[in-house]
Amino acid sequence: MPHHPPTHFSPYDEATQPTPLVPGYKETLTRNPGRPLIARPATLSEITGPTLLARKLPTGMHDLSRRGPDGPRALGQLILVRGRLLDEDGLPVRRSVIELWHANASGRYMHPMDAGSPAPLDDNFPGSGRMLTDDEGRYEFITVKPGAYPVPNHPQRWWRPPHIHLSVFGEGFMSRLVTQMFFPGDPLNEIDLILNAVPDARGRARMVARQMAMMDMPNTHMVGFEHDIVVRGERQTPVEK
Amino acid sequence: MARLVPTPSATVGPFFPPHYFGEGDHDLTYIDDPAKRARGRRIHIAGHVYEANRVPRWNVIMELWQADAGGRFNHPNDPRAKEADPHFMGWGRRWTRNDGFYDFVTIVPGAYLDPLTGKMRAPHINLSLMGSGLMRRLTTTLFFPDQAGNAADPVYAAVADPAARARLLLQPATLEGAPADAAGYRLDIVLQGEDETPFFIE
Repeated sequence: MPHHPPTHFSPYDEATQPTPLVPGYKETLTRNPGRPLIARPATLSEITGPTLLARKLPTGMHDLSRRGPDGPRALGQLILVRGRLLDEDGLPVRRSVIELWHANASGRYMHPMDAGSPAPLDDNFPGSGRMLTDDEGRYEFITVKPGAYPVPNHPQRWWRPPHIHLSVFGEGFMSRLVTQMFFPGDPLNEIDLILNAVPDARGRARMVARQMAMMDMPNTHMVGFEHDIVVRGERQTPVEK
Repeated sequence: MARLVPTPSATVGPFFPPHYFGEGDHDLTYIDDPAKRARGRRIHIAGHVYEANRVPRWNVIMELWQADAGGRFNHPNDPRAKEADPHFMGWGRRWTRNDGFYDFVTIVPGAYLDPLTGKMRAPHINLSLMGSGLMRRLTTTLFFPDQAGNAADPVYAAVADPAARARLLLQPATLEGAPADAAGYRLDIVLQGEDETPFFIE
């Protein structure tokens, strides 16, 4: 079957996207444009995107619980996360790059920006991964559950709930998305400024993973989560000329 | 069929993995073999990114996407994809240094007749910016100076204010550390302020 990527991109429903300015998150105040964003038509350069990313960016890194196949495991709750990358029509986005990164089980990032954290590093935790979706848009990775951490140096301090950063390319420039995945039932979800910047509950629900049924878990050593990611883009029925 | 709600965007935050930036990721002129280069006039684009009050903004993730020298995209949505330059990556990524500096190596993209709008697209480069404090990415489009086709380009023309439009034009420049065989262009990106870069609705 020929592969037809989306060619239509409706404007985002503002209610299901975060507000650009977030009270209490001071960096949003000085880094967002003061003038209104400008409407533009979608042309070829917006509805296309890189198809050769996997040759530029190494993939196949889907076990973040250790540095090598036989290496010692990072500390923390071993988890498996799986799901599908879909477009708005519910059709799979195939062979597409997904990047992910998150804090270790103690709530510390492997990043120079987090050098001031008193939480310990974990030498066995690689901190990030990158993989390709399969022909049904599926992805799956193993890692340790990230810890919560305080956001310091803010007028309004808050605690970030455990979350995983996800960067997806979809099938073109218009479907590029960086988002965060949260864990179901965490009480810190209720007070997180990032998650709650999305006004509509349907949008917020998209960012929270589902606990997998135990009987569906292929591996009994881990706790499982399911999380579908929906990128923008719709397919339109071709019009007969 | 009811459409699915797209997953909301969230900030990249300050901790985007530094090791995601490979050696050639800011060079759009090759894919995985630097010996096999894209056709076209090589250019070096550089500048600084500023937040409000002209404060250099470091740790911004910048991504480019553009057509090859013939105005084609190696993507199934381009009817001319089969003619696209097989060595052209078209995509690149860079992060801004402590002083807000960024740079890319690419080629001048070709103009093309856009099948969606029926209009000519002047040579242009799509840019995304992501970073801490940006809940959604910002997108804009860079154009080349002295291109007669700019005025009729449907994206360039969508920016009504001539002063704002001018801030989308790359400026010829001699740049330090530029590849010897590449023509230099400068463009500063101002996220907020009097001389703010125009950004587009996604």
